[in-house]
Amino acid sequence: MGSNASIMLQQEDLQNICQETGFTTKEVQRLYSRFKTLDKRDCGFLIREDLLCIPEVNINPLGERLIDVIVEDYGENNKINFKQFIFLLATFRRGKTKSTTEFNTRNSKLKFLFDMYDRNHDMKIDRTELLEVLKMMVGGNIHDDQIATIADHTIGELDNDGDSSITFEEFCETLSRIDADDKMSMKFLS
Amino acid sequence: MTTTTAQIFTIIGVICVPLISLSILVLSLAALNLSLGIRKLYVTLLGYLFDYATKIKRVKEFSIDSDKSSDEHQTTTTNENDKTPLIEKKTEEDPIKISSTTPLLGESKNEINNENESESSHEITTSTTDHEQKISSTSSPSDIQFKLGDIVDYTRQGLEAIVDDDVTKRFTSAEEMAVWNLLTRTQQQHEYFSIRVTLLWFVGFCIRYFILFPFRLFLFIIGITWMLVSAIFLKYFLKRDAKLRYGFYINIVLHRILSRVFSAIITYHNTEYRAKCGSICVANHTSPIDVIILSTDNSFSMIGQKQGGFFGMVQRTLSNTANHIWFERSEAKDRHMVTDKMREHIQNKTNLPILIFPEGTCINNTSVMMFKKGCFEITEAPIYPVAIKYDNRFGDAFWNSSKHGLFQYLILMMTSWAIVVDVYYLPPMTMEENETSVDFARRVKAAIAKQGGFVDLEWDGGLKRSLPKADYKAEEQRKFYEMLKTE
Repeated sequence: MGSNASIMLQQEDLQNICQETGFTTKEVQRLYSRFKTLDKRDCGFLIREDLLCIPEVNINPLGERLIDVIVEDYGENNKINFKQFIFLLATFRRGKTKSTTEFNTRNSKLKFLFDMYDRNHDMKIDRTELLEVLKMMVGGNIHDDQIATIADHTIGELDNDGDSSITFEEFCETLSRIDADDKMSMKFLS
Repeated sequence: MTTTTAQIFTIIGVICVPLISLSILVLSLAALNLSLGIRKLYVTLLGYLFDYATKIKRVKEFSIDSDKSSDEHQTTTTNENDKTPLIEKKTEEDPIKISSTTPLLGESKNEINNENESESSHEITTSTTDHEQKISSTSSPSDIQFKLGDIVDYTRQGLEAIVDDDVTKRFTSAEEMAVWNLLTRTQQQHEYFSIRVTLLWFVGFCIRYFILFPFRLFLFIIGITWMLVSAIFLKYFLKRDAKLRYGFYINIVLHRILSRVFSAIITYHNTEYRAKCGSICVANHTSPIDVIILSTDNSFSMIGQKQGGFFGMVQRTLSNTANHIWFERSEAKDRHMVTDKMREHIQNKTNLPILIFPEGTCINNTSVMMFKKGCFEITEAPIYPVAIKYDNRFGDAFWNSSKHGLFQYLILMMTSWAIVVDVYYLPPMTMEENETSVDFARRVKAAIAKQGGFVDLEWDGGLKRSLPKADYKAEEQRKFYEMLKTE
């Protein structure tokens, strides 16, 4: 058990993390003990499997994609250490309160969502990328042809410049009606 | 030379006489299930002590917190709230802490329970409530519209599960407690806040390890000896029916002795619903001690796989005192065979009730997880549900089998303050018409959850060691499809 959880986390690091991310010390400590729990092999970083064995993530249709984004974009070499982990989570602090940092802006939340689609990092969501996500979400419930139709429809509606892909600006525009800051903030971190 | 040996013997005698007389006293009290109220007094006293220690700790935490917040004030001008009185802040924070980590207490429990009740008709009760609000007109699949923002809910839920999920935390000790019980292992961040508390802890440590533990170990050995001797006695000296009659008492005395090993303080509620012969008793499972707790008040037939090692020896010995059902590992896969064996067992109304833990694994006493349907398929006898609720202030009874071996666990328990536990017998339940065994299992589970104040989860306890079945993901995908369709 992480009985030495708080000892392992250096006081200095703790202060720095808090200042940069806007988390309170308590929150960081809690996240640290969570990180230690997930890190079953006790090696200081999490790999894909560590996250995927959380049942609720495992059954989440987008769970694997989410983990891809986490370990590839926020970690390195398909591992994520505690610092990277906490900076990832800092993105999802509620931004509306007085404590906004560079991490939890509405824009960074949207960027995370955008990255859920844009896996080749060309700042565009193209048809194949959209199809991939769509397939993950509906599974075998819709026929492939139909999925293609739906994807074409979605792109057609949002693509203003006619390159049959969606740029980050177009993405932000379509999500403007959604309160991304609210929807992508985690209650227990606020 | 002779004088020194004599002296040594006198010293040993002086030490042993009180010890032996004390053990005889405890043993005879245990056998008769009497209590002098010493354990009750001991626990009440401990309660006061914990409160005192926690109070000191809190005060220290306040001052540290306020130091930090003033630091933050100078550097960043963000946290205005920290200026408000600290005590107020604390009370604000506390309920959040409790509701998010130990959902046993207060409102959050009811919330979760209600949610689950209303949803229990659905296949899995997980985190998809967001989607379920949208039920409207039916439309043909061709005008299904997918919006890019539709991934928001799943993404957030995924992240939330990474930070804090409902299942994995049930397989580790429930960590945060309202009061600190002076056991280091139950407190995550044990820091030496004050000399007084450290001193208290140290005295407690000495008492637990150097006084309680040896004595308890001694009792434990006596208990095991009692079991072995009585088993041999029964095996060679008595006829079968007499064997079972004596076996009943031997069993109860054995478990009463064993319960004293952990200074168990057991409160039984609604004893009129104690399981009768020729029935099945189901309970939530926290640790191997569950069996001891329940068996001090009633005798059970146990059912399970034949084990090796120490457990195997206990199993074989216990078989001499009652009709237990042990099956081979190879047979365990054959569910029908197991059910048939149980059915056969309960049809004989003189047979002891069968004790089953349908969760199939130990859970940290904050929740109940899926009940395997096996024993709920038996309609010939009523099912007596039992809720076992431990008071983890005096020692966490949960057996984290992936971290501690059985003996390590037993030593941990013997060096805890005490095992304080409430046992609630619930009215017998039978399967209703048109009810499937799965629904029946769920209903029994809900009853236990309600009585014990547990979070009622549909998740399979087997997730401790394996990944969920792909069906669950498919179910989530189907739900999303339904939502897309009806939008």
